[in-house]
Amino acid sequence: MDIYETGGGDGIIKMNNLKKNIKTTFYIFCLLFLSLMSYLTYFQLYERQKLIESSYNRRLWEQESKIKRGTIYDRNGVTLAETIDLGTEKKRIYISGEAFGPLLGYSSMKIGRSGLESALNGELLGIAQKEPLSLLRQKIYGLSQGNDVYLTVDAELQKKAYSLLEGKRGAVVALEPETGAVLIMVSSPGFDSNKVEEQWEKLKGDRGLPLLNRALTGLYPPGSAFKVVTLSGVLENFTGIEKEKFETKGYIKVGGRVIKDDNSIKPGEYSLKEAFAVSSNAIFAGLGLRLGRDKLLKIAGDFGFNSKIPFEMYVKKSQFPGHSLMDSDVQLAEDSIGQGKVLTTPLLMASIAQIIANHGVYHSPYIIDKVKTPLGQVKVNNLRTVRKTVISPQTADIVRDYMVEVVEKGTGKAARMKDIKVAGKTGTAENPHGEPHSWFIGFAPAQDPAIAIAVIVENGGSGGKVAAPIAREIIEYYFKIRNRK
Amino acid sequence: MSPQIENIYNKSAAVFAITGIVNFLLLSYFNKALGLGIFYSALIFLAVFFLCYIVNYKFIESSDTYLFIIPSLLVELGLTMLCRINPDLFKRQLLFYIAGSFLFIFSTLLTKYFIKKINSPMLFFILTFIFLLLPVLFGVERGGARNWILINGYFSFQPSEIAKLFYVFYLASNLREGRIEKLHRLVLEIFSIIVLLILTRDLGGAMLFYLTALFMIFIATSRYDYFLLGFIVIVLLGGASFYRMPYVRARVLAWLDPWQDVPGRGYQIAQSLFAIAQGGFFGTGLGLGHPDYIPAVATDFIFSAFTEEFGFLGGQALILLYFLLVYRGVRISLFSKDPYLSLISAGLTVFFGLQVFTIIGGVIKLIPVTGVTLPFMSYGGSSMVISFTAFGVLNGVWISTRREEVME
Repeated sequence: MDIYETGGGDGIIKMNNLKKNIKTTFYIFCLLFLSLMSYLTYFQLYERQKLIESSYNRRLWEQESKIKRGTIYDRNGVTLAETIDLGTEKKRIYISGEAFGPLLGYSSMKIGRSGLESALNGELLGIAQKEPLSLLRQKIYGLSQGNDVYLTVDAELQKKAYSLLEGKRGAVVALEPETGAVLIMVSSPGFDSNKVEEQWEKLKGDRGLPLLNRALTGLYPPGSAFKVVTLSGVLENFTGIEKEKFETKGYIKVGGRVIKDDNSIKPGEYSLKEAFAVSSNAIFAGLGLRLGRDKLLKIAGDFGFNSKIPFEMYVKKSQFPGHSLMDSDVQLAEDSIGQGKVLTTPLLMASIAQIIANHGVYHSPYIIDKVKTPLGQVKVNNLRTVRKTVISPQTADIVRDYMVEVVEKGTGKAARMKDIKVAGKTGTAENPHGEPHSWFIGFAPAQDPAIAIAVIVENGGSGGKVAAPIAREIIEYYFKIRNRK
Repeated sequence: MSPQIENIYNKSAAVFAITGIVNFLLLSYFNKALGLGIFYSALIFLAVFFLCYIVNYKFIESSDTYLFIIPSLLVELGLTMLCRINPDLFKRQLLFYIAGSFLFIFSTLLTKYFIKKINSPMLFFILTFIFLLLPVLFGVERGGARNWILINGYFSFQPSEIAKLFYVFYLASNLREGRIEKLHRLVLEIFSIIVLLILTRDLGGAMLFYLTALFMIFIATSRYDYFLLGFIVIVLLGGASFYRMPYVRARVLAWLDPWQDVPGRGYQIAQSLFAIAQGGFFGTGLGLGHPDYIPAVATDFIFSAFTEEFGFLGGQALILLYFLLVYRGVRISLFSKDPYLSLISAGLTVFFGLQVFTIIGGVIKLIPVTGVTLPFMSYGGSSMVISFTAFGVLNGVWISTRREEVME
C-alpha cells in the first residue's frame, strides 16, 4: 500500500487495489472449479461402482436386456439355468425343474428377482467386476456376456431329495462335513422357475408357500434334535458325566409343569448314552436345569444360534432365548429339549450335524464353488475359509458315538443301513400348527463322514418314522451315485 | 498474446465449434424418426453461427471472438442433448440461440458507445427492483419457484434473469469510487432485492445475487471484513432457513444422504448420480444413455445427462470450457482502465461463475441442489438471451479498453 501512496495519485492506488482484488477473486474461482473437477474425479473412482449396482438404478434392467446372463451349473457341470438368445429377445431357461425353484429363484422384469438369481445378480450380469483392466477389455471386445456360476450343489441328489418330499412341506439341507459345501438345498413345495411369471398370482396365494426357501428362512422348533447341543454342553461342562446314571419316572415336574417322556420309554435307570438314544425328555430337561441358562446359552451360541450366518443368501437368524423377565426353570427345561422358544433354520441344523461330523470344527456353509468370467478368469468364494472350533474333538467324538447308538438301537432305527454306519438324531417338535414337525439330523459314514444332513417334514409326525427314512434314502442314493462315478 | 496467434486460436476454435455439427447429423441419421427437420436445424445453426462469427471477427474491431465461440460451442452441445431428449424443446432452443447471438452483437455495440454515459446507481436500482417485483405481483409457479411471467398465455420469461444485468450495473455504479458512501443504504437496497427473490421462492437466485454483491464490494473496497461478515450472515440465514423452511430442509437432507429416501426427496439427486455413474470415463455414447430417467433433465440436470453420454472426460471438458469463460471475463476486467467498466465485467463474471458452480456442484452432490440453470446449455429462452447479452457487454468493455489503448 505504501508504495502506491508515494507512487501516484488516489485513482491509481484504487485501480491497483481493484486489480489485486480481482486476482484474489479469480483465485477463489480457480479453487471452486478445481473442487468441482476433483469431486467429479473422486465420484468416478470411489462412488461409481456402488451406484451402478444399486437396486434403485433402473439402468440395471436396461443393461440386462443387452447382456446375456451367465449360466448356473451344479458341481458336476450340469446346467441348471441358462439364457438363450432368440435374436429379438433373451430367454432365461431353467432346466432343473421344481426341485431348484426356491433355491435358484427367478429373474423377471415384471416381478423382480429372488433366490440365487437375486443374490448373484451382479456376477451373472458381469457388472461386479472391480478390476479396471477387465472392464476395459470388456468395453473393447464389446462383451455382452455375464459370468458363469458353478454351485456346490449336486443336481441329481437335489432332485432325489425333492422327490422324497413330494407332496409334503419341508426342507432338506446336506453339507460336505469337511468343507461346509452345500450338496442339497431343497424346499418343498417348490416351483418351476420357467413358469413363475404366468403362475405368479397362484404361487403368491398358495398356502404351501412355494416361493419361500424354507432351508434358509423357515424357522422351526428343533425338538429333540436340539439335544445334540444340550448333550455337547453337558459333556463340555461336566467331566465324567458319561459314567453317571440317570433316573426317569417317565416325566419330570418343573415348577408345576409336567414334561413327559415318549410312551415307549420305560421308567427306570439310564446311562447318558441310553437316555440320548431313546431321547428321554425328562432326563434331558433335568440336564438342562443342571447346566443352567448361562452355559446352555453359551453352547447354543457357539453352534450358531442368535447370530447371523454368513452365506451367499439371506439366512434368518436362529433363536435361543437368553435371560429375560419371563425366564424360569420351566422355560429352561423346555428350551433344553428344543421346545419352548427355541427356533432354528434347517441350514443351521445341517451345520450342527456338520460340526459333530467334523470333530467339533464348524465350516461356514457355502453354495458357490466358483465364478468364471467370459475371459476365463476364475474367482474363488472366500466363504470357504471361514471356520471355527465349536467343541473339543473328544466331546464331538462322544456325541458321534451316541448318535450312532441312536440309529443302531434308539429312535433313529429307520435311518439304519446295511453296510454304512449312520450317526443321527431324531426330533419330534411340538408346534401350535397341528401335528409335530418331523426332524432328522445326521451324517454318514460315522467314522469318516462324507455327507451331513438335516431333514424336516412340517407336521409330519414322529421324526423316527417320517424324516429318518427320507434321510436314509438320500444317503443311500448319495453313495450309490458316488460309487458309480 | 500476439494478434497472429490470437487469430489462429480464434479460427481453430471456430472450426471446433463447427465440427459439433456432426453431432446433429449423426443424430438425425441414427434416429430416423427425427427426420430431416434436425438436418435443416443444423444448417440454420451453422448459418447463424457463421454470420455472427464473421460480423464479430471482421466488422467489429478488436472484438474478443472467444466470448462468442465458446458459448456457441456450449449451446451446440446443449442443443445436441436437447435434440435427443425432446425435439420440440430443441427447435425452440434454436430460436433462442438465434435471438441470443444477435443480442450479443447488439449489446456489444451498445456497450461500446453508451456504457460510460449511463452510470446512475438510482436508475439501475429501480430497474432491478421493478423486474424483481413483477414476478412477486404477477408471477406463475414453475418447478417450485414463482419467478415466471406469462405474457398472453404463451410467451413466458423470467424477469430475474434481466434483473441480473441491472443489478451488476447498479453495484458497479455504486462502488465505482472505490468506497461505500452510505453503508446502511447499500445494505438496505441489497437486502430489499434479496427479499423480493425469496418472496418468489427463488432461493438459488437469492444466494447468487447475495454472493455477487459480497464479491463486488470486496473487489471495489478491499474490505475483507465485510466479505467475512457477509459470509457469516448468509451461513446464519441458511441455518435458520434449514429449521424454518421445509423446502430448504428437504434439499439439504437430500444432499446429506439421498439414499435414505430414494423414491422421495432423494429422487432427483439419486437419478442424477446414477446417470453420471453410468457414464464412466468415456460415456455411454450419444443417444445410448437414459436422460429420460432424470427429472428436469432439459433445465437443471442437463449436466448429468451430458456426462452420462459423453462420460467423465466430457463432463470435465465442459467444466474447463466454463472455466475458460470465467478466465476470459477476469482478463477483461483486469485490462480495463476504468474502475466502472472493470467492476461491471468483474461482476458479470462472478455472477456467471457462481451460477455455473452452483448448478454443476448441485447435480454432482458437492453442494445441495438449487434450481438455477446451467448458462448456455440448459433449455430456456431468458437464460440464453441474457447470458449472451452479458457476454456482449463483456465484449463491449473489452473493445472500449482496446480502443483507449490505441488512442494512447
